[in-house]
Amino acid sequence: MGVAVLLKQVPDTTSKISISSGRVDESSVTKWSISPYDEYALENAIKLKEGGYGDVVAITCGPPRASKCLTEAAAVGADRLIHIVTDSSLDSIQIQSILSAAVKESECEIVMCGKQAADTNSGSTGPGLSSSLGYSFVGAATRVSMEGGAVSATRLGPSGPEEVEVRVPCVFTFDKGDSELRRPNVRGIMMAKKKQIDTLTPEDLGVDASISKVIIESHSSPPEKQPGQKFVGSESVPEVVNKLREEANVI
Amino acid sequence: MVTTVISESSNGSLHPVSAQIVGAAASLGEAITVVCPGGFGSSEAAQISGVAKVISVEGECFENYDCLAWSKALSPLVDGDLILSSSSAIGRELIASIAAAKGIPVVQDVTGLTSGFLATRSIFSGKAIEEVSISAPCAISLRANSFESAGSGGSAEITTIDVSQEVSVAVKQALAKASERLDVSEADIIISGGRGMGDPANFSHLNEIADLLGAAVGASRAAVDTWDDIPHSMQVGQTGKTVTPNLYIAVGISGAIQHLAGMRSSKFILAINKDPEAPIFGVADYGIVSTWEDALPSLKEHLTELLSN
Amino acid sequence: MAYEALDFYDIDSLLTEEERMVRDMVRDWVEERVLPNIEDACRDGVFPDEWRAEIGEMGILGAPLKGYGCPGLSYIAYGLICQELERGDSGVRSFASVQGSLAMYPIWDFGSEDQKEKYLPGMAKGDLVGCFGLTEPDYGSNPGDMITRAEDKGDHFLLNGAKMWITNGTIADLAVVWAKLDGDIRGFIVEKDDEGFSAPEMKGKHSLKASVTSELVFQDCKIPKDRLLPGVRGLRGPFSCLNNARYGISWGAVGAAQSCFNSAREYALSRIQFGHPIASFQLVQNKLSWMLREITKGQLLAYHIGKKKDDGSWIPEQISLAKMNNVDMALEIARMSRDIHGANGILDEYPVMRHMANLESVKTYEGTHDIHNLILGRHITGIQSFTREP
Repeated sequence: MGVAVLLKQVPDTTSKISISSGRVDESSVTKWSISPYDEYALENAIKLKEGGYGDVVAITCGPPRASKCLTEAAAVGADRLIHIVTDSSLDSIQIQSILSAAVKESECEIVMCGKQAADTNSGSTGPGLSSSLGYSFVGAATRVSMEGGAVSATRLGPSGPEEVEVRVPCVFTFDKGDSELRRPNVRGIMMAKKKQIDTLTPEDLGVDASISKVIIESHSSPPEKQPGQKFVGSESVPEVVNKLREEANVI
Repeated sequence: MVTTVISESSNGSLHPVSAQIVGAAASLGEAITVVCPGGFGSSEAAQISGVAKVISVEGECFENYDCLAWSKALSPLVDGDLILSSSSAIGRELIASIAAAKGIPVVQDVTGLTSGFLATRSIFSGKAIEEVSISAPCAISLRANSFESAGSGGSAEITTIDVSQEVSVAVKQALAKASERLDVSEADIIISGGRGMGDPANFSHLNEIADLLGAAVGASRAAVDTWDDIPHSMQVGQTGKTVTPNLYIAVGISGAIQHLAGMRSSKFILAINKDPEAPIFGVADYGIVSTWEDALPSLKEHLTELLSN
Repeated sequence: MAYEALDFYDIDSLLTEEERMVRDMVRDWVEERVLPNIEDACRDGVFPDEWRAEIGEMGILGAPLKGYGCPGLSYIAYGLICQELERGDSGVRSFASVQGSLAMYPIWDFGSEDQKEKYLPGMAKGDLVGCFGLTEPDYGSNPGDMITRAEDKGDHFLLNGAKMWITNGTIADLAVVWAKLDGDIRGFIVEKDDEGFSAPEMKGKHSLKASVTSELVFQDCKIPKDRLLPGVRGLRGPFSCLNNARYGISWGAVGAAQSCFNSAREYALSRIQFGHPIASFQLVQNKLSWMLREITKGQLLAYHIGKKKDDGSWIPEQISLAKMNNVDMALEIARMSRDIHGANGILDEYPVMRHMANLESVKTYEGTHDIHNLILGRHITGIQSFTREP
């Protein structure tokens, strides 16, 4: 019993991202936050806990500063906090090995995380964990509930939103839903301060963080925007529509 | 060296992005196998130029989407130094699940790929570009409209494999799409109207285009203040919402500084205004000097045509 | 771009993790709940009841008080709470200041055990709203000569008089009222349903419009004997309360100034005139630079007096300096910010004139600017210059 929530610390999504010497400059990030979709996972996990499902175990893998995510999670109701500390840049195999080992250790049968992290925008962790743990998978969920031992969820399926029933154990990834994210309060913050964080290294979980199969070669700023193009008359509409597809690739 | 492409389907037929993925693989000079989940689009896939083999994987488990079940069914049939899919929501989930099953790394939403493998993709929601080198064997999902499509004229052999895979996600019922339109703060595309629309009833033209594009409909403060029918929740600007969509279409909006504050960080801005001196043209990537009455019907027509292809 | 609170000398690095989390919690609440609605609240002249409830839920009322369901936070945390609330609006911060420092605090410090148990837990939750009755129509800077009086009638007190400029009055469940009993200033807890008590709202304000300001009227108001605050006599009572509120205000003013600075900076970078953003003009840079200087100085004053409040080594004159300086600089920054916004600055699209109007009240209440000036003058010279008496 219990829900494992995977939280990733990312630069706040309103931060400006600056590049220096071919790499995103972390020192210029003024605010680090829990990745937004992960917050919806946390909210749903706490709702399950309030329904009597079990404890919420918040897990993060990242540098020392990432422990802030866990304290924030504790302030709104997470019970156990696990921090796998590493400064290394990890590929999908490494991160999933670390997280699946942590999930196994926590003995949680329900795993929740955001559908994709705000930095990589990838979305590989949820489905990858489902495969390595052999847990069912529901992606882009907006709501998960438990009624008499059966788990159901609302998810965005191929043809639109649908209600699904899921066999536990299961991994859920979350999209922004209707649930309002609860705010911490002073009592929560003060209790969170006292909470112990279990700290591990990747090596403790049998993972070699040093050799990645995906190496970052460089970061760069997106190309400068072309100067604006102005057209006169509605006859130009077809040409502009074409440019929206071919040049801008926005439709 | 084989490349496997996991095809993408839409309403039972092959989605055009599949030919783009084949095109990307072909430019790397690989022998290409296309695997079709559920068998959808397999005969079309066989006709893509450059495809050596098509594996049509069929079974009850493909009736509804169950990522783990599909991944278990497909993984044994997917092989090669390079596995490719589209970076649609389902494409990503499936390839990530398969990659984990095979113990190979996955990189998502790639827009440029050369042998080696060297991949380019955007990160931080487009605020930066990343170049990575990936050791084979690996899995990569490709972004639609980033690669040249392979042509037709192929005639690959189709092998059908029946699988029976246990399903752990059952669809109870489809839910009606929310009747309310997307909120401006969540949309990738926004079309907004200003006082230049003349009457709140004319926002129906914007709604039609929004429906086509799956966009949200916004409004300038002037429109919200002037017309009761245009609610504050639609307002984009200093005292409304600040939005950063991929595409912002401003119709009949002059572009006062308070409005710009709310939308100037949009990736691309299309402005339609009858006044050639309107300040909005100063921030627009594409500006059309025209009345909305002339421009919008044409926009609707050409968008409909483009999107149906 | 998200709100970036100016912190040029990195006060953030001096805070504990708990203080930062409390600050961020209030900042997020102001961002989500106050800023989208404040202009409407001002226009309508109301303090939305939901805000009272949500502020209560956050558990920030009576921040530095310990026990009886109170938060027990540091004074630095209390300051940060005021800073973030006032970045939203001085009226919202006034609600919390009055509740915590002027109504909860006197009960906590001077009340009987029964009074503390009866009122404090409900007030900490925001379920019971309090107000503070000291100022009168004819006695503002000179509270010592107040004429509201209480008479001991054996089994009850009879209160007569009137108080004015009372924040929260009309929505309050209880009022801590200072009145003369046999010539001695004492504190009394008046409950809203007490016979002979009414709290009409004062309308027509151009400042603190999202705050409730009232009169308290006592006409043969009968209050039970157990409502007298036993623990204090004389002006020391109300002045202790005011010192706490003033401390919070010194941080609050920083918040208002940060909001005005932020708006001016963003506006100056976007407003193009003569082909260049006005942020490139020297006179505009001069103004922004002055604002940065003053906010930084104000932050350091507030932070340091906060540390002294936490270790008990403070004197009231030090609080006078912080309140006076910070409100002064905030008002000047609001005006300068309005100037940078040009004509746009008079619209409620931007917060600057709302802050400017609010700060006129903040400069006047909790001891006017001039009174704090004289408090410092007396401290420096040993000679009081409030009155003509020897």
